[in-house]
Amino acid sequence: MDPMTFSIIRHRLFRIVDEAVITLKHVSGSAITNEGHDLMVSLYRADGSLLMGGVGFLHHLTSAAEACKAIIRRFDGDIGEGDVFLLNDPYTAALHTSDIYLVSPIHVEGRLVAWSACFVHVTDIGAVNPGGFAPQAPDIFSEGFSSPGLRLVRGGEICRDVLDTILNMVRSPEMVSLDLRSMIACNNVARDRMQALFRKYGAQTVDAACATLIEQSEQLFRARLRELPDGSWQSRQYLDVNGTTARVVLTMTKTDDRLVFDFTGSDPQSAFSINCTKWASLGGLFAPLFPLLCYDITWNEGVIRPVTMIAPEGSIVNCTRPAPVSVATVGAIQSVNNAACTTIGKMLAASDRYRDEATAVWHANHFAIFKFGRNQRGGYSIGILTETFAGAGGARSFADGVEIGGEIPNPISRMANVETVEASFPVRYLFRRRAIDSGGPGQYRGGTGGEMALVPHKAPDGGIDYVISGKGTRHPMSEGLAGGWPGAPNAYVWVHAPEGGDGAPVVASDGLAALEGDHQRVSWGVYPLRGRDALYVRWNGGGGWGDPVTRDPQAVADDVAAGLVSPGAALAIYGVALDGAGGPDAPGTERRRAAIRAERLEQEAAQ
Amino acid sequence: MTGTAPTTDRHISPAVALRGTGAAARHVCTACGGDLGPADRPWKDHARCREIALHLAGGPAYDTGEREVFLRQFCCPGCATLLDTETAMAGDPWLTDRRAG
Repeated sequence: MDPMTFSIIRHRLFRIVDEAVITLKHVSGSAITNEGHDLMVSLYRADGSLLMGGVGFLHHLTSAAEACKAIIRRFDGDIGEGDVFLLNDPYTAALHTSDIYLVSPIHVEGRLVAWSACFVHVTDIGAVNPGGFAPQAPDIFSEGFSSPGLRLVRGGEICRDVLDTILNMVRSPEMVSLDLRSMIACNNVARDRMQALFRKYGAQTVDAACATLIEQSEQLFRARLRELPDGSWQSRQYLDVNGTTARVVLTMTKTDDRLVFDFTGSDPQSAFSINCTKWASLGGLFAPLFPLLCYDITWNEGVIRPVTMIAPEGSIVNCTRPAPVSVATVGAIQSVNNAACTTIGKMLAASDRYRDEATAVWHANHFAIFKFGRNQRGGYSIGILTETFAGAGGARSFADGVEIGGEIPNPISRMANVETVEASFPVRYLFRRRAIDSGGPGQYRGGTGGEMALVPHKAPDGGIDYVISGKGTRHPMSEGLAGGWPGAPNAYVWVHAPEGGDGAPVVASDGLAALEGDHQRVSWGVYPLRGRDALYVRWNGGGGWGDPVTRDPQAVADDVAAGLVSPGAALAIYGVALDGAGGPDAPGTERRRAAIRAERLEQEAAQ
Repeated sequence: MTGTAPTTDRHISPAVALRGTGAAARHVCTACGGDLGPADRPWKDHARCREIALHLAGGPAYDTGEREVFLRQFCCPGCATLLDTETAMAGDPWLTDRRAG
């Protein structure tokens, strides 16, 4: 094939995904989709293998491939033009029940030539708790509607009986209907553009280009791996839930042009819904792999081939039915994301050539708080606090992490405006801002996370309730690199207002400390936000890079001036003393840093 | 063993490298060249390790109310450079990173 035609087809595939994403966002009415970008669109070959990974949450790219393959197996011989299939069973391919895949066959002249697949986190899935994350679910049966594959659209016509059955099982059916229709529209656009591409260049040419594209990715990825050092690197993540702690342990071994991700040593599956299935773990490790190792390589089946995953059956990263998994995406999957990010970062950092591509872990701990209840217009609202997507950047070998800088597994994640939330829910924000001391200390500091507080406002029922799936409040999860510290962990506080007051606090410019009342840490379950109480949330910062006592003292002073680092942390962790004007006190800093180094040397040899 | 690390060092991380070959290969601190033990043993065995309860190590932002979570700091015994950190529950093994060859 001539290189120009190949290049045009390759770029056309990118644009098809882009246009489908735009369609999905424009049709969707859900903040989690069109504000938080909790979505994914990708293209697959006729056999279901990944052809063109799109944007959004990248841990869905491989799982949606498995969804296509599961549909092919189930409906073999009965897959028609204009059909759309739904799959959301985690033990078949999906990550959790509320992330619904819609996969659409693409036919040209009667022949199946490709698939498009997309997902959104639907507004509700009928689980025991509203919103899909179900911390109170003891098993998969309590986590809502779950299908290993069904036909939602036949020949371009929605199967009303199927749609109505689904909508009959969920809260907020009008929003779920819109979620599903946005995905149908998305797949329709992808299908139409793919058919146009095939018609313009011919099936044989496009098929050949697709095969070449996958082969090219495999060759490029293997070549990159050969440039990286052979070795093995480890990472460990802790997930605490209701007083229990589970570990995700990863040893990543790179040999020549192959990578093995071995989760042996991870804890057995949990009684709580933080578990994930093997397809979810596979997606979880690829989510950081694609952008960190293949930032200039097309994300497709060719990238998958050099990678092997070992995930012990019955463990938290390969649980067995009917273990609950509804919190997987912010539970074990995210820990797989983090662990893989750490080991890949370590490998890159060990390479003279690729060190600057390494990064400490970004936003490692989603908090998944779903608000629900009667809104200020008398209707019923369910929705996530999209600040969970705001994130924080990990530090690199040459720069600090980006403040509230998103996350690696979803390069387009973001949070909604405060006003968007206040328009949909009877709440008011007291503040939302960068959180002091949240970025992992280091020569280069991890990006700060954020903090915010909400109070009820004009709520017809006096407030609302929320489901919180906040594992990981006891453990930092954004690991640092090369001596950098982890970012500070998440915190969730229910502020019980004092008796006898009237009205909610108007402002709380001093943050949590200014919120009067009893402060109760919460992390898992369903809680009220009523009366004059407040909900305070702090989310984690990114990991740091390098020894904090080698950070430029002026940079530390600037951080203090900007409210990103406290004077106490500047002195205790960075060893930077400040003068009366807020600048670095050079003699004081030298003394303090010498003292820190002396304390380190006072320790016994490690073994 | 002190001195500037030569360019033939093979890094395990930006802070730790392998120097030498075969049975003579040693881990070294890349900041000072200080010895961190033979290549066939984890370099952390030869580092200084501070294991501090997280709430004491990091101040209020790291105080989760949990007392059984620790920040491990592995430091060069020669120049006191902080080479690596881990968060860990008490008694959990150290993470081991190895470079082949």
